[in-house]
Amino acid sequence: MNWKLLLGFVSNLIDKISLFFGSFASFVMIALVLNVAVVVVLRYVFSVGFIWMQELYIWFHATAFLLGACYTLLDDEHVRIDIVYRSLTKRKQALVNCFGVLVFALPVIHLVYTKSLPLIRRSWSVLEGSVEAGGLPGVFLFKSLIALFAILLGFQLLSLFFKNVLVIFTTQSRADR
Amino acid sequence: MEAEIFALIMFGATIVALIMGFPVALTLAGSALFFAYLGDWFGIFNLGMLNVFPLRILGIMKNEPLIAIPLFVFMGVMLEKSNIAGDLLHSMGRLFGNLRGGLGISVLLVGALMAASTGIVGATVVTMGLMSMPVMLRAGYSPQLSSGLICASGTLGQIIPPSIVLIVLGDILQGANEQASMARGVLVPEPVTAIDLFAGALLPGLILVSLYIALQIALAFFFPASCPAINEDTDNLQGEDKSPSIFAVIVPPLILIFLVLGSILAGIATPTESGAVGAVGATLLAFSKRKLSIATLMLVARNSVKITSMVFLILIGASLFSLVFRGFGGDSMIEEFLINLPGGKVGAFLVVMLVMFLMGFFLDFLEIIFIMVPLVGPPLIMMGFDPVWLGIMISVNLQTSFLTPPFGFSLFYLRGVAPPEVSTRHIYSGVMPFIALQIFALGIFWMFPQTILWLPDLIFG
Repeated sequence: MNWKLLLGFVSNLIDKISLFFGSFASFVMIALVLNVAVVVVLRYVFSVGFIWMQELYIWFHATAFLLGACYTLLDDEHVRIDIVYRSLTKRKQALVNCFGVLVFALPVIHLVYTKSLPLIRRSWSVLEGSVEAGGLPGVFLFKSLIALFAILLGFQLLSLFFKNVLVIFTTQSRADR
Repeated sequence: MEAEIFALIMFGATIVALIMGFPVALTLAGSALFFAYLGDWFGIFNLGMLNVFPLRILGIMKNEPLIAIPLFVFMGVMLEKSNIAGDLLHSMGRLFGNLRGGLGISVLLVGALMAASTGIVGATVVTMGLMSMPVMLRAGYSPQLSSGLICASGTLGQIIPPSIVLIVLGDILQGANEQASMARGVLVPEPVTAIDLFAGALLPGLILVSLYIALQIALAFFFPASCPAINEDTDNLQGEDKSPSIFAVIVPPLILIFLVLGSILAGIATPTESGAVGAVGATLLAFSKRKLSIATLMLVARNSVKITSMVFLILIGASLFSLVFRGFGGDSMIEEFLINLPGGKVGAFLVVMLVMFLMGFFLDFLEIIFIMVPLVGPPLIMMGFDPVWLGIMISVNLQTSFLTPPFGFSLFYLRGVAPPEVSTRHIYSGVMPFIALQIFALGIFWMFPQTILWLPDLIFG
């Protein structure tokens, strides 16, 4: 019995982390809108532009969609082709999810994480900055977003897996009785 | 040869896997990765090719034109959540409602303009269905006509600028065009941008809306019972808030949309810049109507994050899919197949359109565009098709597919939110005349390519 409580607990904990990053990404989204709007006003009203400001909104954009990905999964808003899925029983849906996490999603997360690490390490070792004059420093942080994205989404996938394992086992035990 | 058969199996298996219902982005990437490892095991795939995948992701992160997507999403979600879109529909309905068929025309116009351009047909049709179906049924519209109007305008909204689908399509066609030009020895091809596609989609969009409206008027004339005028006494739209001026509700959002579109088409602003103006404009509009609370703002931001994340994760997943598909030589196989088809370039075009139409029965706009256009785009452009024309034809073709029973996407989703008195049969028969109009319009765009190319040529010379 204990392992079910443990799975539930871990899954809840992960959900809270994803929720936090979802809220963070939402603030970044508002910052993105304001940032581009300010660039537009500066360009068309005052005819000035700053490279760092244009790079900043690229950062905001990437941060919003990469760090928001785990939160999107938490709310089940990564679009599914649900012609078949919607008509399945809860238990079969849970099987689809478990299968998908193990066979499709986690290997991809592993690939993104391991293949991005050398790229990120190289960037950190030279403390890479923008190639543009007047651009933002800290491109190594920007590149690190890829690994952070993989970690956060990976954990949320684990949470999804745990939740669906629980669904499978609870529905089964009910059927047994 | 063996590798190419692998590519075909991978393609088929991925589509089957998608239908299982696990999130699209992860299924696309995961299925491709599975076949990459399998191919490696058989010695026909070089896993080293996967090393560039993080660079692809980095490329997507730094892709400036695609930043228009979150901005337009924010604008659309803001207009929807602050109820500006709903109010617009009600006011237009009041304005035209005392004419037979007037409410239907209002639904068409608002749907085509406001359909939150998310690139997800389902979401749009659900929103439109919830917003306008009860109003039309209460006004005495036949369930068939109501269903047809909602499905047609909801799917059309996906391809009327500023639409996410066109922004994505612009990005992919640009790559396809570069590839095709390189193969032909042109080193500096004319760029294809989202602006070209916005300009190219405008006239076809207007033609389709006009055809829909003409149909509605004809129905009002020949079958008046299907779309009665709103009865002043019993109508719920009236009376509840007789705001001093209907125009105060209708005009500001329309000005916002025309401002955003106009500045792009006039070549003054990029889609990203206009998107920011649209997003801020929609927020100010909501604020001025006292419909903007902190809670609403956060709700809009959260929903925008989710839609944006969803779109970009598919983009990332699809880029791994095409990386592996290319690794197996699948792209050159498709190119050879298309070039060797009987019927030359027309034959190749028709086959591609047919395949996409069939894919539209089980995949959505973004998936089909992400998977198919990078593969079939370069050979078709090499055969001499104009990339902008091609893009719009593909969009209208897919839109038609989403309307077509028994599989059409929009029909399923409308079924899900329609009240029980609307039967599936009503929905199927309701969309039939609209499908006929779609096919008619495709014929016009085929016979007269200038309907698509005139405006982009005018703007960009």
